[in-house]
Amino acid sequence: MMTPLQIYKVKVKETHCTVTDLLHNAQYELWVTATNTTGISPASEKALYMTVPSPPAIKQRECSSCPEAALIRWESGNTNPVDSYIVELSETGTVGAESNITESIVAVPTCQCLIQLQAGRQYLISVRAVNIGGPSDRSDAITISTTGTFFYLLEDTAHPCLSMSEDGFTIFYGDEELPITAMAFEDNTFTRCVAILGDLIPVRGRHYWEVEVDDETEFRVGVAYEDTERDGYLGANGSSWCMRHIRTPSRHKYEFLHNGWSPDLRITVHPVRIGVALDYDRGTLSFFNANLEQHLHTFHCRFHNYVHPCFSLDNPGALTVHNGIQAPDYTFI
Amino acid sequence: MALTQVSSNKCAGGFQKVFEHDSTELKCKMKFAIYLPPKAETDKCPVLYWLSGLTCTEQNFITKAGSQLAAAEHGIIIVAPDTSPRGCNIEGEDESWDFGTGAGFYVNATQDPWKTNYRMYSYVTEELPKLINANFSTDPDRMSISGHSMGGHGALICALKNPGKYKVTSCRVCVRPHLRPVRLGGGSPSAYDATVLAASYSGPQLDILIDQGRDDQFLSASQLLPDNLIAVCSEKKIPVVFRLQPGYDHSYFFIYSFINDHIKHHAKYLNA
Repeated sequence: MMTPLQIYKVKVKETHCTVTDLLHNAQYELWVTATNTTGISPASEKALYMTVPSPPAIKQRECSSCPEAALIRWESGNTNPVDSYIVELSETGTVGAESNITESIVAVPTCQCLIQLQAGRQYLISVRAVNIGGPSDRSDAITISTTGTFFYLLEDTAHPCLSMSEDGFTIFYGDEELPITAMAFEDNTFTRCVAILGDLIPVRGRHYWEVEVDDETEFRVGVAYEDTERDGYLGANGSSWCMRHIRTPSRHKYEFLHNGWSPDLRITVHPVRIGVALDYDRGTLSFFNANLEQHLHTFHCRFHNYVHPCFSLDNPGALTVHNGIQAPDYTFI
Repeated sequence: MALTQVSSNKCAGGFQKVFEHDSTELKCKMKFAIYLPPKAETDKCPVLYWLSGLTCTEQNFITKAGSQLAAAEHGIIIVAPDTSPRGCNIEGEDESWDFGTGAGFYVNATQDPWKTNYRMYSYVTEELPKLINANFSTDPDRMSISGHSMGGHGALICALKNPGKYKVTSCRVCVRPHLRPVRLGGGSPSAYDATVLAASYSGPQLDILIDQGRDDQFLSASQLLPDNLIAVCSEKKIPVVFRLQPGYDHSYFFIYSFINDHIKHHAKYLNA
């Protein structure tokens, strides 16, 4: 139970008093004494009052979405625990239609919520914290669009040699050698492969995103389980699948790697915009030259867990992730 | 252009039929196989032309390749012609397995005594499509071409020599232009050489899928030269995905194993 930190006194002449400037999410005891020239009366019975919590703060860069759902994460906004959260959403209207449906999801126990939505719409989502005193004000809202699959890159998984653009969608592998002190590896970072994971895609069904590269950059793009070896190379183990581009002086080479094995193939036109299509239900991961609508390769794999998109640069260069895009028809024939 | 139905079998919800007709290009009776998917009963369907390899007739593909399920799923008509004119009584036409009967090479011969009948290129690219479009529920603007071995090469040359006619092409194994077509006299050897044609191709973008069995005896005997074709297509930026399939040979078991991938490849464009 809370220890009273301080006693506030307010002197009034009326038989009522409004108490303001209370802290959020705090329990107060209130009592009254009467005073006359002789002295102060004993205290009245104590009234207990719980103030509502502070509003939470949605963590924009930790939210992701796909055509049928959104994963929203937030900070509680309160030092002390609250009882639960309410997630509120309203549709901002599809093309042509004007609708403002409001939906509330109550009794959310933790600071994240996977919400079922409808494809091709736009929503405003906000969160309130709840305690016995009632619900807080609404948090600042986040706009979620259910066109395509949208995710941020997880900075805490990035190899130290990778840097990121401000918008968080382009990664760079610089030419300069980092001093050893800068190569501080956290628990979650890749240590050999200059790689980074995207946020988890925790919803069944189909997902599509594109990766933009240039002619010279050697890269690996694909998907990996959350527990993929951080000291391994993408595609070299059983927990990751990727398309790999190798540049030799005379030509481009391509591998589609899983467990270190790749089929033997040749691709005559180098793809600079790669479409990646993941289908959890069918168990397929396909790669396309998105500019030519050309299918390159499909892995057939029964995913036993949800996966993260993964990206790595094998030589100095850059790649840009484009997502929140509707999957072209040809990607899921 | 009268067609006589030779056979009809219900297959994968549709019908596998064989027809016979008098060919004006080849000046003989020719058979062709046609698979009509269930969708053809109510809608106009796109057409995939399949060219078979040496020694085949219109029967091999329809009985061994297992294409009908995928064709039914994607609503595609598949036409498989014979591989040469038949019964023309030309001296020497039955002497070799890789020349004459069953070995038309999909060229128009220019030398006697072959040039009257051996016009498989015109048959496949002109006469047959006209015949098919006039007699079946087809969408004449959506056709593509595929083949195996001699037919794979034939598919490539038909697509390269007719920019815009075929939406996409694919093949399993493309035999390099043999010396044989020179005997048939198909103009200069380069007129029907896929590698040469690719080097001078300028037309709408193609999308070519090639599967090659790694254990194909023709590959090891240097009868197939995929590296030349790949090099030229890389140079000319003609989109090709070439897959070397370990353990697979030259047979219809190989065709059967990848036919679904190829039909899906065609469906992407034919059904767009």
